[in-house]
Amino acid sequence: MASTVIGAGITIEGEITTDEDVVVTGTVRGKLSAKETITIEPGASVEADVVGGSLVVGGALTGNVTATERVDLQSGARVIGNVKAARVTIADGAQFKGNVDMDV
Amino acid sequence: MAQTRTAPRDNPGREARIGSGARVRGRVHGDGNLIIEGHVEGELAIRGDLTIADGASVTCQAVEAHAITIGGALEGDVAATGPVRLTAGARVRGNLRGTAVSIEDGARYSGRLDCEFDLPPELGGASRGETRGRTPARR
Amino acid sequence: MAANTSVIGRTTRVHGRVTGAVDLEIQGFVEGEVAVGGDVTIDAHGMVGAGVRGRRLVVRGAVKGDLVGEEAVLLEDGARVVGDIRAPRVTIVPGAFVRGFVQTGEPGEAPSRAARPQVAARLAPPPAPKTVPAAVTRAAAAPPPMPAPSKPAKAEVAHSVATVGSSTANSAPRRPPPPVVPALKKAKGQIAKRKER
Repeated sequence: MASTVIGAGITIEGEITTDEDVVVTGTVRGKLSAKETITIEPGASVEADVVGGSLVVGGALTGNVTATERVDLQSGARVIGNVKAARVTIADGAQFKGNVDMDV
Repeated sequence: MAQTRTAPRDNPGREARIGSGARVRGRVHGDGNLIIEGHVEGELAIRGDLTIADGASVTCQAVEAHAITIGGALEGDVAATGPVRLTAGARVRGNLRGTAVSIEDGARYSGRLDCEFDLPPELGGASRGETRGRTPARR
Repeated sequence: MAANTSVIGRTTRVHGRVTGAVDLEIQGFVEGEVAVGGDVTIDAHGMVGAGVRGRRLVVRGAVKGDLVGEEAVLLEDGARVVGDIRAPRVTIVPGAFVRGFVQTGEPGEAPSRAARPQVAARLAPPPAPKTVPAAVTRAAAAPPPMPAPSKPAKAEVAHSVATVGSSTANSAPRRPPPPVVPALKKAKGQIAKRKER
């Protein structure tokens, strides 16, 4: 399935909804919602509530995160917000501040 | 340079040509096709196809024809019952209306295009009468 | 370019602005303004509900908003645009449809000057060597002193009458010719007459 790529240098302010995968290397402010996997790469800056199937975070994210399957915070992740998912992994080096809710 | 043809090149009897040395001032109308290579000022209303050749110039309040091909200079509003086409040498200033309007790379144009079509429903569907950037009708 | 191209996928909807020094390909729906430093391609399924600004714009989908290209705007077959288009080079192929003001030669120029084809604008004619748009404008605005319509310059084109009054090309009178055209538009001539007074 095709994916949406929000590359480095791009800024989207507003609400994004999609059925596909999303890869964010740029900046998103507002709301981001995808049915499949959302990848927030190192260098990305997301200030938004994020809803997805799965979430892989390697960059900066401020907002609440809800995933139907899993959330993986990689070592470069800087997350401030609440995380709700069936499975959550936080890698060594990831910075995280918020609540984790695995009660699905 | 000034070469005036006294008869159309291939003459089916319904094609006329205003040669490159000719100047016409007034109202030009008729049923057949017309090729303008010279200068026309005034009004153009023909039922056939109109071709304004590269090097020609037309300054008209109103230009009416079926299919219109413009390769030269035109100042005036154009209303075609067929397609309007600006080729690379065109220098056009005026509003264009036709079943379709096309502009080739290199043409110079300034004016309003008016085609009948609908946007997809997500963008509002039929949006006739939009006044974005509408230019006032020429006189 | 591929490395720096962002893609708004086919099923993606963005309700907001998109900005950045990037190239952008829009396959989905963007409701807000798009203003990027690179090239923007709106593919056949793409839709943008507001203005788009970029370096080169290629449109195959639908846009309800102004298109401003710093270099060029190209509307391909299937494009549907309601809005103004401004770029140094504008190409609209057959099969593309536009409703709006189009201006070539000037990227991002405010439409206020070019949108109103005033006499002043016409006095700066396109590089057609022989026309005298100023003269014609004056001629058209000048009121017909005699209401009797002047027939002599009326040319019938129905049959093979090819040339009319083929005066030598260089002896074109530069002064305003007798106003034939206003004979057919008497009311407008009189309005212009009042305006001139």
